[in-house]
Amino acid sequence: MIFEQLAGNLLQGLVLGAIYGMATMGLSLIFGVLKVVNVGHGAFIMVGAFVTMWLFNALGIIPIFAIPAALIIGLALGFIFYYTIMRKLIKAPELATLLATFAMGVLLEETIKLIFGSEFRGYNWAVGKIDLGITVLPFSKLYACLGSVAIAVLLYLWFNKTRAGTAMRSVVEDSEGARVCGVNVDGVYALSFALGIGLTVTSGVLLTMFIPVGINPYMGGPYTLKAFVIAVLGGLASPYGAFFGGLVFGLIENGSYTLFALLPNVEPFALTRFFSFAILLLILLIRPTGLLRTK
Amino acid sequence: MSLLRLENVTKRFGGLVAVDNVSLEVQEGELIAIVGPNGAGKTTLFNVVSGAFLPEEGKVFFEDRDITQLPTYKRAPLGLGRTFQIPRPFSSATVRENVAIGAMFGTLAGEVSVDESLEIADHYIERVALQDHRDKEAGTLTPVEKKLMEIARALAMKPKLLLMDEAMAGMNPMDIDDMVQLLIRLKEEEPTMSIIAMVEHIMRAVAGLAERVMVMHQGAKLVDAPTKEALTDPRVVEVYLGQPKGE
Amino acid sequence: MKVDLGKCYPLIPVYAIYLVMFFIGNNMPGMWELMAMLAFYCALGQAFNIFLGMTGYVDFGYVAFMGVGTYGMALGITRLIQFKALGLGLIVIGFLLAMVMSTLLALAVGAVALRLRGAYFAIATIGVNEGFRFLIEGAKIWNGSEGIIFMSHMNEAVGDKIASAFSTFWADVLVLIIAALAAFVTLYYMRSKIGYALTALREDEDAAKVMGINVTKFKIIAFITSAIFAGLLGASAWALKTPYVFPPEVFEIHYTVEAIIIVLLGGAGTLLGPVVGGLIYGISKYYLAIILPGFQLLIFAPIIIIIIVLFPEGTVGMLKKRVKGTTLERYIV
Repeated sequence: MIFEQLAGNLLQGLVLGAIYGMATMGLSLIFGVLKVVNVGHGAFIMVGAFVTMWLFNALGIIPIFAIPAALIIGLALGFIFYYTIMRKLIKAPELATLLATFAMGVLLEETIKLIFGSEFRGYNWAVGKIDLGITVLPFSKLYACLGSVAIAVLLYLWFNKTRAGTAMRSVVEDSEGARVCGVNVDGVYALSFALGIGLTVTSGVLLTMFIPVGINPYMGGPYTLKAFVIAVLGGLASPYGAFFGGLVFGLIENGSYTLFALLPNVEPFALTRFFSFAILLLILLIRPTGLLRTK
Repeated sequence: MSLLRLENVTKRFGGLVAVDNVSLEVQEGELIAIVGPNGAGKTTLFNVVSGAFLPEEGKVFFEDRDITQLPTYKRAPLGLGRTFQIPRPFSSATVRENVAIGAMFGTLAGEVSVDESLEIADHYIERVALQDHRDKEAGTLTPVEKKLMEIARALAMKPKLLLMDEAMAGMNPMDIDDMVQLLIRLKEEEPTMSIIAMVEHIMRAVAGLAERVMVMHQGAKLVDAPTKEALTDPRVVEVYLGQPKGE
Repeated sequence: MKVDLGKCYPLIPVYAIYLVMFFIGNNMPGMWELMAMLAFYCALGQAFNIFLGMTGYVDFGYVAFMGVGTYGMALGITRLIQFKALGLGLIVIGFLLAMVMSTLLALAVGAVALRLRGAYFAIATIGVNEGFRFLIEGAKIWNGSEGIIFMSHMNEAVGDKIASAFSTFWADVLVLIIAALAAFVTLYYMRSKIGYALTALREDEDAAKVMGINVTKFKIIAFITSAIFAGLLGASAWALKTPYVFPPEVFEIHYTVEAIIIVLLGGAGTLLGPVVGGLIYGISKYYLAIILPGFQLLIFAPIIIIIIVLFPEGTVGMLKKRVKGTTLERYIV
């Protein structure tokens, strides 16, 4: 019985993990190309969540169609932030970009709070479920998982089959070398930042398909931490590593929650959150560049 | 006892062998030049000696003590000083503060106070003729002034061995002559200090400065001999005649 | 190491401001609350500046040290209540506990994080806050998410009147003293080898190592110092003022945000900066709370961005450049 529950939880963890992974790919892309850590990461996810919720509650648009909307909004945000802020900080010390992305996140949170207020919201997209024996999976979660995988695959094709994607990879390797070879490095920076933000906002849509409640301006915080754990797990600069790191993280998170729930005198939810942080520190201690290093 | 001794040092980056089985000995008071074109492995060699890189093979000895694994920051108090090809000033600090840092954490670490370090700094700032810029922020200096400050800062460490990384690249012939005169004067004032100057192939500076020359090519030691001999060695001539004009 | 009194000029404007604040608060009716809030922000800025300003590293989990300090005071008073005969001594012990606990947390976090470079360090610290708070709640340490309420313990230990005096007066005075101490320590560091080493490692960590600087050691010194002041601040501004500690409140990330704003506004790495930043931020927040309650961050977030892009040296940083070469130079540091 316990094993069935554990297996069910692990499967749910894998499904959620795909979404977590996809949510982290944007972070890795931005770090890989621009060497910038987007400390405001969670806030962008939150934006995607609000887009989904609003489109559904106000206009009746189902979340699947929120995906392209979120992507466009994310790309726009990314381009705006790049050209107004990030571009000016290329020569600045690392501290500057850390604080700038952090402030961007705060700005988004406060703006959303101004528009929507700080209450917790949600939406209810009832599309039925599928029974998988060990667990029951609502179709919305299934779609979210499939969506994440699809996006990951599209990203792979982008990096390997398109000119722009190849240019991005070259800048990750060696920005000076790429410049010398005629790559428009500034353009790559802009596109990468925009794409990274776009992916992050889109992941907010998928995330709410999995968890359609608890949407509020400050929901991003925990996801920022999770994203960092995942990114460090999979290699901070590798989007693919991020995806697989997400899967692993999903498993660990759900697995540990199940196990903690068995222990007396603990609060499993809180302890799981602590556990993620402990893992982060552990990995940073042993191998900061990533445990699952893929190219 | 030699001051610095490298035994069969090899440094690889993936498949690339940057430093190939190099052995070298430097005595107290020697002034030697390491010469070689770009990519010959000179900077990597310096990085191994200063502790930024760990060699795959071989050992580094300073005064017969094995420092191969010693962290970089512990090498300065032992007497190892270094300047960089592109100067690395502490930009927001003044010239005086920059040079004082050399005094505080070099061979005199633990023996001098902040005020004494500032006095030592003043002395070396005068030696390189930067006293007019003493209280300026280091980031506002011209490239040549920054190079001079680098030297003053390294000297303030009172090193036993000074690694000078392409101190002359990017300077016109007159500046090079001044620099050479400066270094010769410094050597006269600190006869026990050894200098390894790393230059690309500026013959004037090499001839005026060094007693001994080591030529590197593709990571390996080509020649290691007194200056005149080394520069007229046929192997060296061949390596340099193969280079495009203008270097 | 001796500190030459002549070199204390930079402390004069700082202490002058603090004295003025005290007199205004104490002597003008209704001003105490505002002055207390300003004092808190100045202290927060001074403490945070010791690390951010001098090393250039951002600790996003900074408020955890304040939280831990609050717990230190709370635990000191509640767990040692059998020694209530000590009276005020118990409060002293509370402060000592706050210092010890913040030092321990700083060592634990620092051991992992301080070996990492800029971005990785920031990532490591992002979770410290969350991590520590959820450890307390998850493992139900120190009453877990219920927190500790120790008003009755306070009353038992020092008597109702003194307890209330702390809450309304002495806690805030202590905050001002902490700010003054932090300023002194900041100047001391700046003038000593520690300051030189920190400047070097902030500008160019690799070159600093070549110069013989043990960068990790100096980072730890700055980190722990900054943490201790945060702990003391939490112990007085939070624990002594309102005698309860409740995990979600004392680990609230927005205090770290405020600390960042204050230090950047005023000028990171300067002595006077955090004071100026604290005053500007505190006063702005006070009046914004009247006009636009709850939205001060909305206004300050873009201000941070503007400062980072256009005025990275902050108010005092710019002031320093203006007074260079004049007699005011030695007062504005």
